[in-house]
Order: sequence, then C-alpha cells, then structure tokens
Amino acid sequence: MRFDSGADKMSSFAFMKILESTPGRYDRGIWFLSRGRIGAVYETIAGSAACEGKAILDIGCGTGNVSIACASRGASVVGIDINAGMLEIARAKATSAGLEREIQFLEIGVAEIESRYGESTFDACVSCLAFSEMSAQEQAYAISTVHSLLKPGGICVIADEVTTRGRARRLLHGLTQAPFKLLAYVLAQATTRPVNGLAPLLQDAGFTGIEVARIWGDSFMIIQAKKGTTR
Amino acid sequence: MSLKGAFGRIYDLTFREFPHRAEPGLTPIGNPGPESPVLLTGNYTETVRRLKKVLKNESAWLLVANSKGLNVWCAAGGGHLTHHDVISAIVTSGVGERVVNHTLILPQLGATGIERQKIVDATGWKALWGPARLEDLPAFLKQGHLATSRQRLMRFPFWERMEMATMWGIPMILLGLLAFTLLGGFSVGLSVSLSAAIVSFGMFAALPKLAVWGNRRWFTFALFAILGTLGGWLLLYSLNSFGWKSLLISCVGAVTEVMALSIDLAGTTPWYGSYINTFRNRAHIELVSDRCNGSAECVLVCPRAVFKMNGAKRKVDVVLPDNCIDCGACVVQCPQDALRFRYDDGRVAEASTVRRTRMNMLGRRTIVLESHERS
Repeated sequence: MRFDSGADKMSSFAFMKILESTPGRYDRGIWFLSRGRIGAVYETIAGSAACEGKAILDIGCGTGNVSIACASRGASVVGIDINAGMLEIARAKATSAGLEREIQFLEIGVAEIESRYGESTFDACVSCLAFSEMSAQEQAYAISTVHSLLKPGGICVIADEVTTRGRARRLLHGLTQAPFKLLAYVLAQATTRPVNGLAPLLQDAGFTGIEVARIWGDSFMIIQAKKGTTR
Repeated sequence: MSLKGAFGRIYDLTFREFPHRAEPGLTPIGNPGPESPVLLTGNYTETVRRLKKVLKNESAWLLVANSKGLNVWCAAGGGHLTHHDVISAIVTSGVGERVVNHTLILPQLGATGIERQKIVDATGWKALWGPARLEDLPAFLKQGHLATSRQRLMRFPFWERMEMATMWGIPMILLGLLAFTLLGGFSVGLSVSLSAAIVSFGMFAALPKLAVWGNRRWFTFALFAILGTLGGWLLLYSLNSFGWKSLLISCVGAVTEVMALSIDLAGTTPWYGSYINTFRNRAHIELVSDRCNGSAECVLVCPRAVFKMNGAKRKVDVVLPDNCIDCGACVVQCPQDALRFRYDDGRVAEASTVRRTRMNMLGRRTIVLESHERS
C-alpha cells in the first residue's frame, strides 16, 4: 500500500508514461510480437465460437479484435475489459466496421459480470491474451464464472501464450523471441506473458472435451472446452 | 535473511524498470480473526515486504490486488490499479467470508486510479482512505481509521531520496559503463558512470529545492549537466589524460543522464508535477464551488494538503493551489465532479476525462480537452 518508503515512491514514472501510451499502439505491438500471425488466431477463435445468432462473451476484449471477428460472423457480442483506453479504441473500430449494434463493450472485470448476466446466458465465451494478465485466483474464478454463464453445450475458447515445453526448445524459443520482445516493448510497449495450467482449471470447473492446440513452435495455445448438456 | 531473499531485494531495488510481481490474494498478518481490519495494497514485491514488516505487531488481513507488479502510485496513475482490480481482489479472494466488518482500507496514493465509490456500489463493502505512507498504518489503525492531516501529507525525506537515487542510478551507471567501455575502453566507461552517479544522486539530494517549472528548469538541468561533465572529465583526465575528447565524452554522458532523469521525475509525488501539466500550457486545479457539497473527499486523498474543509460554508476551500502536482486524485474521487483542471489557454479537463485517462502523464498526447469553457 502506499507507496512506501521512498523505494517505490517515485518509482518509475518514465516506465509508467510509456505504459500509459499502450492502448493506441497495442495492436501494432501484438502484431509485431506474433510476427503477423495474431490475425489468424482471432479468426480461428471466431471460427470455432461464432456464427449467426449466437450470443458471445469476450473476456478481456482489449481493442476488440476477437469481438469484431465474432460479430462479423453474425454473432451478438458482449466484450468486457477493465481498461477504458482499450475500450475506446475497440468502440471506434466496431463503429468503422459497421458493427456497433452487434457488439456491446462494457468496462467491467470478470468479478463484475455475475451481477449483470444470469446463468446460461451465452452460447460461447472467448478470450485472447487476457488470462495471462490475471492472478491465479482470478483465473480460477473466471473459469468457474464462464461455466455458469454458458448455456448447456456452450463452448469456451481461450488463446494465450504458454511456456514452451522442454528445456532446449524453451531456450531456443527464448533466444529467437528475445529481439522481437525487446523491439515490441521499445516501439509499442506491448508485451505478453505465458499462462499455464488452464486445462486443469477447466476440468475442475466441470468442462468436458478439452482440446489444446499448440501453435507457433509450442509457444502459443488455443484451448477449447465444452459445458456438458446435463449436470 | 536468506541468500535468495537478499538477492530478491537487490533485484527489486535495482531493476525497477521491470514488474516485480508478488502473488495477489489474501495474506494474514499476525493472527487475524473475523474482527481484524482489511488493508488493500498492490502486488509490487517490495511494498508487500515492507507492509509485512511495518505491521508485524498488528493482526490484520492484507488484500493484495493485481497491480501487475507495479507500486501503488505508479500503477494507479497509469491505469494498472483501478477499482476493477480491487473489486476483483475482494470477490476472488473470498475475503468476505473471513471477516465480519466488510470495510476495506485503501492506500491513499491509489486515489488517482481506484474510484472508491465504485467499489462500494459493486461489492457493498465500505471503503475508506488510509494514510499516504505505510509506516503510519499502525497509528492509523489505533486512532479509529481516520488519517490525520499530517498522515495524509506526502513526505520524501533525504534517506529515501538517496534510496531512490540508487534505484534510479544503478541501471544507468551499469548501462553507461557497458556502452562506453565497448566504445572507448574501461576508463571511458568508468568516467561516464561517475557522471551518471553525480547527476542521479545530486538531483535527488536537491529535489526539494529544484526549480522544475518554466524556464528556470533549464538552469537546473544545465547545472547538473555541468557538474556531471566535470566529475567524469576529471576522472578520465587523471586516468588517461585525454584533453577535449574526454570532456566531450563526459558531457554526452551527463547530458543524457539529466535528460532521462528530468523526464522520469515528472509526476514524482511530492515535488515534481506530472505531465498532465504541459510546460507551455500549464494546468491548474480548479474548484467549481457551486457543485461542491462539502463531502471533502478531496481533502482525504490530496497528498499535498491543497484543500481544507470550510465548516461555515460547508464547502471545501483551495488553500494551497501552488502545492498541487496535478496528480488528479481529487478530480477522480469528487462525488460531485466539482474539481477539474484548467489550462493556461482556457481549456478544461473535466472529471470524466481525467477518470478515463487517469493521471495520464502523456496527457499532451491523448487528452482531448473540453472546449474553451469559461468558469
């Protein structure tokens, strides 16, 4: 609390100034970090989760890329994020894509969803590069909340960075990715962190048919799970 | 302290450019029970460590919110510690089942980002402002959870400024040593490091006296650039007896250091205004008195004692406007939207703008000011 004795008091204002400018450059930074491959991930997520008439929840929608990909397939989307700056960009992008009526962007966190939406509200829940920003407790809470918000048979698709398996591959990945990480941080202050252990959390929450697809040399994961039709 | 713990502390204090994430969640301090107070903080490792130390004789619950490894002040000002993170910490930690008094004590310096009323609305918890500094917490807990005016005022004593200078200076010294050793050999690297150290420690030592506004700041910067240059040059001269070349190298090192530090210092809690204040078009805090209903939230969150409650008028007075560092905490918290920033050119940034952009140090880049509204 408090900004404690001196140590962090003034801590990093330059750092903070840089962080602050994130929203406007986030898309470019992530594009660069993924070496242009992130767009395909947005489409893959939307392809698995969205079609005409489906109700979709996008957790940590950020600048709205996944929400827009889902809405352009005819789904109606609720995108939630706790960053007002990101949402401003998301709304502008949705408007210029002519999808502002299909997507509702809300400035709330996962802990604030349940008071607004009842059980079995959504056909699908999607999330890209958001779980890595949550603490372990927040991840567990988010997944059990998603389970209750989904209709029976509804699906959950989560995409995020993961730690590469095997020491040698991890080292190789770290070395090849390092210059991109550094440049993306310097140019756009965009960064990602690996998230691990989501599959067991999904299992504990009662999801079935959990499928994990590892891509980009084992460094990125798209995980899909289904809520059973009977419970 | 274990060896690993010691290395952890050294890392936390020297590489502050990187986040230092403690595990968020509920941590017991001492032997807390259902009646014990709940204190909120961010998940910067050093803050959590110091809180545990200062509260070692208390029994309390420490609720660590996910501030992404940044300290409370920077995280709140940069939009990385908001009421959303606090609500999330309350809901996901299950603290509500552990305590009977659903009252959360918030860090005062989080007021630039944490909207207190939103926590109350979303969770039904009561939320109140704690003191500005953690060492006042034991006294705050004893005196019935209302910070005194002294505890709300931010202090930055000499020893802490030196600590901060170390945190700031070491990466720069190492960077200078590495870069200039590669360029011109070890003695060149060493002299640039000395320049960096002189500038860093000198500016922090003089911080309360530094003139940082308007044209006078150029004299300040020039003075430290000259001191740093002379120090580096003398060292290099005694080692290698270079002439003008060594002077040039030292000058480059010192000027770089001054530039980096002057940017980084903007927004420093007690003495250095934030960049919501552009130097050419300075912002001033403005109270729209008609809107004020005397809730005095601003008095509780201001770390610089700018406001005072006027009991007779049942409104707040701006008593020390020149103390303001434009952190925006009062603007964000006012339930009546009675505070705003007015710029020299007449434009204003209303509460809704400040809440959306937070302290937004880069205000000049992204804040869209409301049109020329006259008060």
